Amino acid sequence: MVAPLYTTASGLLFHAGKIIVVTVGLPARGKTHISRALERYLRWMGVKTQVISLGDYRRKVLGGTHNVPKDYFTLGEKSPETEALRARVKEGCEDLIWEFFEKGGQVVIYDANNGTVKARNELAEKFDKQGVHVIFLESVLTSDEIVEANIRSVKISSPDYKGTDPEEAVRNYWSRIKDHEKHYEPVVETNWPFIRIINVGEKIMVNNIQGYLQSRIVFFLMNIHNKYRTIYFARSGQSLIEHSYKADSDLSPAGWDYSERLKDFVLERRAKTLESRGLSSDDRRLVIWTSARRRAHHTAWPFLSVSRAQNPLGPSTGPSPTPSPSSSPFLPATNPSASFLSPSMFSLLPASVAPTPPPMPRVKVVEKPQMTEINPGVWDGLSPDEAKVKYPEDWERFLKDPYAFRAPRAESYHDLSVRLEPILIELEREQEDLLIISHASVIRCLLAYLIGLPASEIPAIEIARGDLIEVVPASYGVHSRAFHFWDGPGRRHGGVPASPRVSSSGGSSLTLDGDVEDVEAEDGVQEGEHHANFYENFAEDTKYRVRSAGASGEAGSGTPIVEKADAK
Amino acid sequence: MLKQFDEVHGGLTRKSSRESGLATPPRSVVGIGGKVAKPDYSEAKIVLAMVGLPARGKSYLSNKLMRYLKWLEYEVKVFNVGQLRRTRAKAKREQSGVQENHSAEYFSHDNKEANQLRDKLAEDCLEMLIQWLKEGGNVGIHDATNSTKERRAMISNRVAREKGIVVIFLESLCDDPAVIAANVALKVSSGDPDYMNMSREEAERDFLERIRKYEKIYETITEPNLTYMKVMNVGSQVTLCNIHGYLQSRIAFYLMNLHVKPRSIFFSRHGESVYNVEGKIGGDAHLSPRGQTYAKALPQLIHDNIGDANLTVWTSTLQRTIETAQNLPFTKLTWKALDELDAGVCDGMTYEEIEAAYPEDFANRDEDKFNYRYRGGESYRDVVVRLEPIIMELERQENILIIGHQAILRCLYAYFHNLPQDDLPYIKIPLHTVIKLTPKAYGCDEERYTLPIAAVDTHRPKPKAAKQPDVVVSTARQYLDPTIA
Repeated sequence: MVAPLYTTASGLLFHAGKIIVVTVGLPARGKTHISRALERYLRWMGVKTQVISLGDYRRKVLGGTHNVPKDYFTLGEKSPETEALRARVKEGCEDLIWEFFEKGGQVVIYDANNGTVKARNELAEKFDKQGVHVIFLESVLTSDEIVEANIRSVKISSPDYKGTDPEEAVRNYWSRIKDHEKHYEPVVETNWPFIRIINVGEKIMVNNIQGYLQSRIVFFLMNIHNKYRTIYFARSGQSLIEHSYKADSDLSPAGWDYSERLKDFVLERRAKTLESRGLSSDDRRLVIWTSARRRAHHTAWPFLSVSRAQNPLGPSTGPSPTPSPSSSPFLPATNPSASFLSPSMFSLLPASVAPTPPPMPRVKVVEKPQMTEINPGVWDGLSPDEAKVKYPEDWERFLKDPYAFRAPRAESYHDLSVRLEPILIELEREQEDLLIISHASVIRCLLAYLIGLPASEIPAIEIARGDLIEVVPASYGVHSRAFHFWDGPGRRHGGVPASPRVSSSGGSSLTLDGDVEDVEAEDGVQEGEHHANFYENFAEDTKYRVRSAGASGEAGSGTPIVEKADAK
Repeated sequence: MLKQFDEVHGGLTRKSSRESGLATPPRSVVGIGGKVAKPDYSEAKIVLAMVGLPARGKSYLSNKLMRYLKWLEYEVKVFNVGQLRRTRAKAKREQSGVQENHSAEYFSHDNKEANQLRDKLAEDCLEMLIQWLKEGGNVGIHDATNSTKERRAMISNRVAREKGIVVIFLESLCDDPAVIAANVALKVSSGDPDYMNMSREEAERDFLERIRKYEKIYETITEPNLTYMKVMNVGSQVTLCNIHGYLQSRIAFYLMNLHVKPRSIFFSRHGESVYNVEGKIGGDAHLSPRGQTYAKALPQLIHDNIGDANLTVWTSTLQRTIETAQNLPFTKLTWKALDELDAGVCDGMTYEEIEAAYPEDFANRDEDKFNYRYRGGESYRDVVVRLEPIIMELERQENILIIGHQAILRCLYAYFHNLPQDDLPYIKIPLHTVIKLTPKAYGCDEERYTLPIAAVDTHRPKPKAAKQPDVVVSTARQYLDPTIA
């Protein structure tokens, strides 16, 4: 079990000691992508981890390609000056590594080519002598196409090629690679532990890996990939009893409207995104994960039922449609089995569904019981006022640390993160476009992992109902944007309006010191019964709020409100 | 209160969903819960072919894996070539009176006729396995030595003809003479029909001879085109090659976490709680006076059992388990994942109250307890999903004492004893009793220590069932295939 809060006196976790993961591979082999992903995951686990990149260090010290001698990147004979320069860069970089270990760091991922047996052995012996475990992590790509794609998407935007014509930059880079290839020696030596990854996770070979942390690293690496895909996040629609966890109530009328709007907007947005990359949504599947809560699962229904409603053949066209209500005396919507829809059904869509109707994608809906919202325990159904009066001591602790605090019988955000760990692995693994329909607390934890936010900020990340958060994993991190597509009742839980222009739902709002202030209700659903689950969203409604991806903006515009290309 | 709400809003839900143009409007949500179907695993189809000399722990690994995957509700079946050979030989003997010679001679590579017979057996076994996968199985384990490249190529080529089925080879290596000797001793003394009419010494000599015959032709996996995992000395070193896919990576991770150091796992429920006495479910009550007596007596019981050996105590976050553990002089860890099954809206009620308020729902839960999810709460399946990381952690650890809850310990117990999901919710885990499980080659040995401190009985048998689920625990190895005999 891993958890982002777990600490020990030494600062080292899992009795794993200090580890240096030495990347090995030709340029443009996805080493950086893998290094960054691993860093993000280990940090999320609470392991003090740092990627130290030889290339970044060289650029910092010497500047771009223009500033280094011609023979700097060739592996053959070099002038003595160049040799000295290279040695200086390498030493400086290794100093950084030692510095990080001395400050209590546990894992260093040393991102460099390390292309020869001799160089690797020297490096490994040096660290091994000091009691640091050495693991080689070799990344191999089997097709030039993937290499070229890597060059185009990552390398030519690097500072090395600033101001260079892109085609010229690609040619230059290829020649740099070809030169390396002549001297490159793949990892065949078995005297050190190694992990060899072929085509970023497609295949993996592991030698002599020992212990829990190392096996976790392997398990993680087995599940990552760098294929292009988009992850969307949206909250479930408003439910009939917003403030109760236990009631597990169904969608309110506004919630059903929301689910229709969400479907239209996601399909439209996705079609646009794919089109801009020259792809078609016809040949890609959209996978939807929902929690096991009724309102979340039902929010996904329009994705399944639109084309079925238009298609007299109904269930027989898909291998496993949702069951009809008559087939079982139990609740039909809780069937977690997948449902597929064929793309051919699109032609039957009425024009009114969307102005330029996007093709109906193949959709698969999967229910994940781990994605249930944070459990408020005995605070379920209470208003902040009631909780404060009934549990004054707990309330103080809650205000102090909304991440680690666990109300009686409730879950803390930390508990929730632990519960979601298997979902993170599945999230990394998924190759299709993914829409996650879940709850604010769950989306916060998943987003914090993807963006790399510290645990303490998680409870305050702003996740408004009616915002679609789009996350595209990229080499150095993720690009995330939020789109505001809906403005109905229940958009805001506590009541802090999205912006002065947006007439938001009522309820109670919290002023800066955590006191409660009534805000006049404006929407149609009965208030009083409908203050939201404050335990889940308290920090967001107060001064702690963090704007990561979601933010306020003009309603219904469908344009990005905040765009954030996240480095690291 | 909940009922009133459902009546008021039931109409609202139906109305709103019709407006949204759904073909099949969802039923309004009423009552205290409902049944939930099993997740869809139909895309997972794997042939797991074992590789390794006799007495190298192949069956140990395949058994562990089977238990783990079955617990996660995958359909898993072991197809053991040795079992098929013995079963067929038995049938032949009974029909025609001919006794086949299955001594070491039979396993010699120079014995042409026997070679052909053995090839045929392996192929037949594989055919049966593939057929079973097509009928809905998820993971079929081909349990044989599969010791030559030729044999592996045969398996790989045969499976390649089946769309959607993949093959993984799992090689078990062992270079520890003590472990091999123990495995040999176990083999010749555990009632193997091959050695029925032999003395122990004779049997051992014959079995070692059989191993030598295999060693002559044994080729460790080096074929670069195969998907394989090599496990050296159970988990101490693992090599993975060409492993991809979700289930495969899960299997690999599981194998990386196994160890065979001797240890025991102790389960105890918390001492009797105030809610137990009142007949209420859920809650976060304190211990009753009798529960407190149990908490005081527990340290001595554990000490009598393990002496000075070390142990770690795991509790849930609920007070009754923490109070039960308070006098134990060991490191204690609190796991949220060990909290009792969440009964949602029924939390804090008695079974009688639930039955009176929701008679139909109550009957439905009894009908299919494993799949029944309380409204706003959990099903047994949900608990299994949340306990999976605990199982992984348990496999890595040594002596552990878990102070847990009835439903939680039922799920964990079912994992260690390979009990089916249908029976799981009826496993008897009484109060004031310590259950000691000691992992052995083919299962776990079990001892129960009941302290003479009275407590209420919280076990509810399956109503109206003709026969109570028979929870029988077996650690014996099966030498004949019960399904084909």
